[in-house]
Amino acid sequence: MTFEHIVFYAISLILLVSGLLVVTVKNPVKAALFLILCFVSGAALWLLLEAEFLALTLILVYVGAVMVLFLFVVMMLDINIAEMREGFVRYLPVGGVVAVLMMLEMAMILASSKTGLVERSHPVSHGADYSNTAEIGSVLYTDYVYPFEIASVLLVVAIVAAIALTMRKRPQTKKQTPSRQIATRAGDRLRMVDLKSEKKQP
Amino acid sequence: MQAVYLAIPLLCLAAAAIAGLAGGRIGRAGAHGVTIFGVGAAFLLSFYVALDVFRNGHLFNGPVYSWLSSGGYNFQVGFLIDQLTATMMVVVTFVSLMVHIYTIGYMADDEHNWPKDSLAGKNSYQRFFSYISLFTFSMLMLVMSNNFIQLFFGWEAVGLVSYLLIGFWFNRESAIFANMKAFLVNRVGDFGFLLGIAAIFAWFGTLDYDAVFGIAPSLASQQIHIAGSTHWSLITFICIALFVGAMGKSAQVPLHVWLPDSMEGPTPISALIHAATMVTAGIFMVARMSPLYEMSETALSLIIIIGAITALFMGLLGIIQYDIKRVIAYSTLSQLGYMTVGLGASAYNASIFHLGTHAFFKALLFLGAGSVIIAMHHAQDMRRMGGLRRFMPITYFTMIIGSLALSGIPPFAGFFSKDAIIEAVHHSHITGSGFAYFSVVIGAFITAFYSFRLIFMTFHGKPRMDEHTRKHLKESPAVVIVPLLLLAIPSVMAGWQFIEPMLYGDFFGDAIRILPRHNAFAEAGEHGFSAWHFMKHGAFQPPVLLALIGMVSAYIFYVARPDLAGEWRAKLAPAVRVLENNYYFDKVYQAVFAGGALRLGSCLWKSADVKMIDGFINGLARAVGWVSGKVRLVQSGYLYHYAFVMIIGLFLMISWFLYL
Amino acid sequence: MEFQIPDFAPAYPEIFLLCMAGAVLLLDLFLGKRFRNLAYGLSIASLLATIAMIIGSSQQATTFNGMFLRDLMGDILKIAVMLFTIMVFIYSRIYQQDRHIFKGEYFVLALTAVLGMMVMISAGNMLLLYLGLELLSLSLYSLIAMRRDSLHATEAAMKYFILGALASGILLYGMSMIYVTTGTLDLAQIHAAIRTGDSANLVLSLGLVFVVVAIGFKLGAVPFHMWVPDVYQGSPTSVTLFLGSAPKLAAFAMLMRLLVGGLENMSGQWQQMLIILALFSIGFGNIVAIAQTNMKRMLAYSAISHVGFFLLGVLSATPDGYAASMFYILVYGFMTLGSFGMILLLSNKDSESDMIANFKGMFSAHPLYALVMTLLMVSMAGIPPLIGFNAKLAVINALVESRLYWVAVVAVLFSVVGAFYYLRIVKFMYFDQPGEAIRLNGGMEMHTLLTINALALILGLPWIGWLIRICNSALAQLS
Repeated sequence: MTFEHIVFYAISLILLVSGLLVVTVKNPVKAALFLILCFVSGAALWLLLEAEFLALTLILVYVGAVMVLFLFVVMMLDINIAEMREGFVRYLPVGGVVAVLMMLEMAMILASSKTGLVERSHPVSHGADYSNTAEIGSVLYTDYVYPFEIASVLLVVAIVAAIALTMRKRPQTKKQTPSRQIATRAGDRLRMVDLKSEKKQP
Repeated sequence: MQAVYLAIPLLCLAAAAIAGLAGGRIGRAGAHGVTIFGVGAAFLLSFYVALDVFRNGHLFNGPVYSWLSSGGYNFQVGFLIDQLTATMMVVVTFVSLMVHIYTIGYMADDEHNWPKDSLAGKNSYQRFFSYISLFTFSMLMLVMSNNFIQLFFGWEAVGLVSYLLIGFWFNRESAIFANMKAFLVNRVGDFGFLLGIAAIFAWFGTLDYDAVFGIAPSLASQQIHIAGSTHWSLITFICIALFVGAMGKSAQVPLHVWLPDSMEGPTPISALIHAATMVTAGIFMVARMSPLYEMSETALSLIIIIGAITALFMGLLGIIQYDIKRVIAYSTLSQLGYMTVGLGASAYNASIFHLGTHAFFKALLFLGAGSVIIAMHHAQDMRRMGGLRRFMPITYFTMIIGSLALSGIPPFAGFFSKDAIIEAVHHSHITGSGFAYFSVVIGAFITAFYSFRLIFMTFHGKPRMDEHTRKHLKESPAVVIVPLLLLAIPSVMAGWQFIEPMLYGDFFGDAIRILPRHNAFAEAGEHGFSAWHFMKHGAFQPPVLLALIGMVSAYIFYVARPDLAGEWRAKLAPAVRVLENNYYFDKVYQAVFAGGALRLGSCLWKSADVKMIDGFINGLARAVGWVSGKVRLVQSGYLYHYAFVMIIGLFLMISWFLYL
Repeated sequence: MEFQIPDFAPAYPEIFLLCMAGAVLLLDLFLGKRFRNLAYGLSIASLLATIAMIIGSSQQATTFNGMFLRDLMGDILKIAVMLFTIMVFIYSRIYQQDRHIFKGEYFVLALTAVLGMMVMISAGNMLLLYLGLELLSLSLYSLIAMRRDSLHATEAAMKYFILGALASGILLYGMSMIYVTTGTLDLAQIHAAIRTGDSANLVLSLGLVFVVVAIGFKLGAVPFHMWVPDVYQGSPTSVTLFLGSAPKLAAFAMLMRLLVGGLENMSGQWQQMLIILALFSIGFGNIVAIAQTNMKRMLAYSAISHVGFFLLGVLSATPDGYAASMFYILVYGFMTLGSFGMILLLSNKDSESDMIANFKGMFSAHPLYALVMTLLMVSMAGIPPLIGFNAKLAVINALVESRLYWVAVVAVLFSVVGAFYYLRIVKFMYFDQPGEAIRLNGGMEMHTLLTINALALILGLPWIGWLIRICNSALAQLS
């Protein structure tokens, strides 16, 4: 067992346990934090595979952006935890049995001699000067340009959909009108009013 | 030319569609205008095609449209234009055109036949024209077909239109009964017909005439099993099965029972469908299949015997009828028997010849009868007529021509065609030809007797109708009279014009094939032939003499000594009763088949339907209710239930496929 | 580093459609409400133009490193998808206007959904199948949710979204199993990597199960059908119309690409899985449909049973069977459009009119549309001479030729059960008294198209042979 093996098993264990905790802990904020732990361990596994760019992207995008947003949402919404967990115990036996059985089945498949998996040769290890950012970039915009473009269309659709679903004009909505702001002149902003001095009442 | 072939049926179809679908919009004049135009154009084009075929010898055989492809077989709409088809096309379109014109007069006050303000009676005039045009289309598709599927289509389509027209006045109980009867009896025939087509497809692998005729000789000795260990010759089986279809459509004993009842329909269609064209479809079909029939003497024997029975016994029934249309209906049955006998004797050309002349003079007789019926305010009983010749001279004159032609008196058309059949039977040697000869010769006497009985009862003697009707008696309008006159021309002339090429010449080319040993006319043809010679020879043969005797006896019984008729009727009471009951065919069918089916039905209904099926269905309904009740619990609307069901489904699928 | 610019020509229709979707979005943004009909017209026009481009450039080609396949099957399915979408637009115009959801986004999202389907149809790579599917699904979720003020619509969108995400997860898991064993995402290479009778490969089988389950979800086959009734009923009818027709074609393409294009050599295994899905769907769908009172819900269960029927053709695992399925799904989509179109026709500003009882007495009020509905229902039930019968016949025929007699018998028995609820509607229309006055909604163009839609089910008969032949030659090309 090499050092890499030890690291792999350790990180995998963290990943599995934190994944389990995401669905079992009571507090949604904690659940979100465990999810972050999942992503971080996932990124660590990718680092082991020498996929540094992907690992960093995962942390930047998911941990840095998505999960922070998640946390905001979870904290801003007033979630009734008791109501959400209702029925958890009731369904636990059935769900648990199915989950355990499914896990056993998968294990049996892997333990079987007929997995059909072939051992492939270890991929070539590259030196420290090897940039996998450049490598990904070069295939992404050449060989995989088509799926890349479709993925970007997918994102556009997501934006359009999000805007279409959430943007609404309420009468009480207050908003700026940039064109009018720019077009104003100094004279519009300041109005001189003559006030007559009041005489002090006797 | 292909466009012309296509145009002929499609013109009729288009006319039918316009008159039927837009009848209310275009009105009466529009409806008869468009259909007469359609059928008239079809007639002119048919005539043109016939000229092209007979003058220039242009034949055509090929598909024009691929309809659908199923199970490796392409169903195609195709035309086979040869001498036989051309003849039929001209006959069909000509008679149809005459009937169209005549209908204008006959149906002029059809609204009286319907209850007041009924929806069905509103555009019945237009509907009628639509139907008869549709019929013309169907009949043309039938005769022009080059394959069995299209033949079957035409066969069923004419059956359908006939059904619609027999029951045209569907507010009458008797009309509904008659069209149901026609439909059911034809179904029996169609069953045989379909079996024949299926057998052809199963053994020949094709349904094109040409291909079938080409393969047939190689299957001549093929034997098939049907039931038990009996072996049948394949060709004989096919021929008989097809002929069963022909028996239904051409009303041969014992499937003839529907034709007399079909007189419930308006008279123009009796003329067009039940006398001149549709009922001859069976005759046409057998003639078309002559290459097959020539290979099976068994089938020919069956045909000649069935035909002879029909010719003799149905003619006898004509003698005792009082309804003017029924007399003609039975005469049609008997004449169809003649044609069938001709087919059995391998004289296909003579049968088609008789078919043609019969179409003209029978349409003439029917339309004449219709003219009388119009004058009599839709009364049809001959006992209430008499002396009409003074009121309706043209009708009388044309009816006389028709009757002379029907009786086979030279030189009218019927003489040549009928005598040709009798001659052919005389020369035939197949089993049953002796009986057939006897039947057709006696038949000549009977035919003349009932034809002139009709003439004498209707047009001679004292008027027996009531006062009101007699006052209003008058000749029918021009639209009725003109078709009568036009039909009278071929009834006189068609015989001696066509006998020579039809029987002895090469009129039909390859369309009809007769084995040399079956060909009755070949010998005579070699010695040189002329219509004059035929007439001179035939005039002193028994058939003509018997026909003359028949006419004279009819005169004695119904003009000279009217009291004799009643006396003889009383003397022969038992025989008359048998005839009056149509040899008990109807009663037996009614009791055995209709009654049996009803009993079987009610028995099945009580035991199988109520107990088993209803029980099962009700049980099923309860089960369905129970299942939906359970399912509703699963379909709870809760998202996590749904997700959970999916996961369980996934789990079961994995378990199933990986460990079973 | 050698790199060749891929050949864009086969993908021009997709590129064009994407550009037009963008154009509609921008135009609508700047022109606003008053020009909404412009977005409507422009969307239809761009779909028509795309169809013309496909017809004009019909070819067999592969581009983008085998990720984009252009073949006859794809072309036919794409054309059908776009025709169906045009019909959806036309049927739903008034309905959308009445409910204030006649927005530019509606057209943009529908067009991107069409684009997603086209990507799926043309996919030569599992990655693209997944991306296309997501593009389609995302557009559909948001189309359903567009009607924000309706509780039902929001609920339906939510259910569809979450279950859809679950199914996507399952699909990805299955695909990764397949990737693990074959080492590639390219379907043609997967096909080459799997040897016939390679049943010892358990991981591959596991992947296959997951993939089939995910497709079963997308099609709505029992037991992965739970979302179908709720989503069909909850969505605005204009979206149900879309949801029920075009995506089924894309799902068919997905089945063909994955199971035939990639995993054909495992047909022995997926055949059995599909038998189970198909028979459960036919039985369950037909039986439960009987108990429904809501028209949309009934049509949802009918959709489940039809999906089962169409799977029967696929599971016969012969080119003829695939062609029969393709024909079936084309005909089914066409009938579904008409049926939901009838609901749209009856709906008005105040009511959805989606109960079966709304059809009562239709004949006395509107005989023409009673006939239209009768044709649609009778065709759905598969009664000759309507085209629905020919479609069922083709599938049954394929089964019989594959010697799966018992499956064929069970399928026929259940479709007899199914005939009951279709014909019940006919009975309601002709023999029952109307509950309240029936008002017809929709414009002239919708009325005309709806009538043509129904009449085509019987008047189209002469062209059936032609259509079946095209399907046959399309699928003969595939395998």
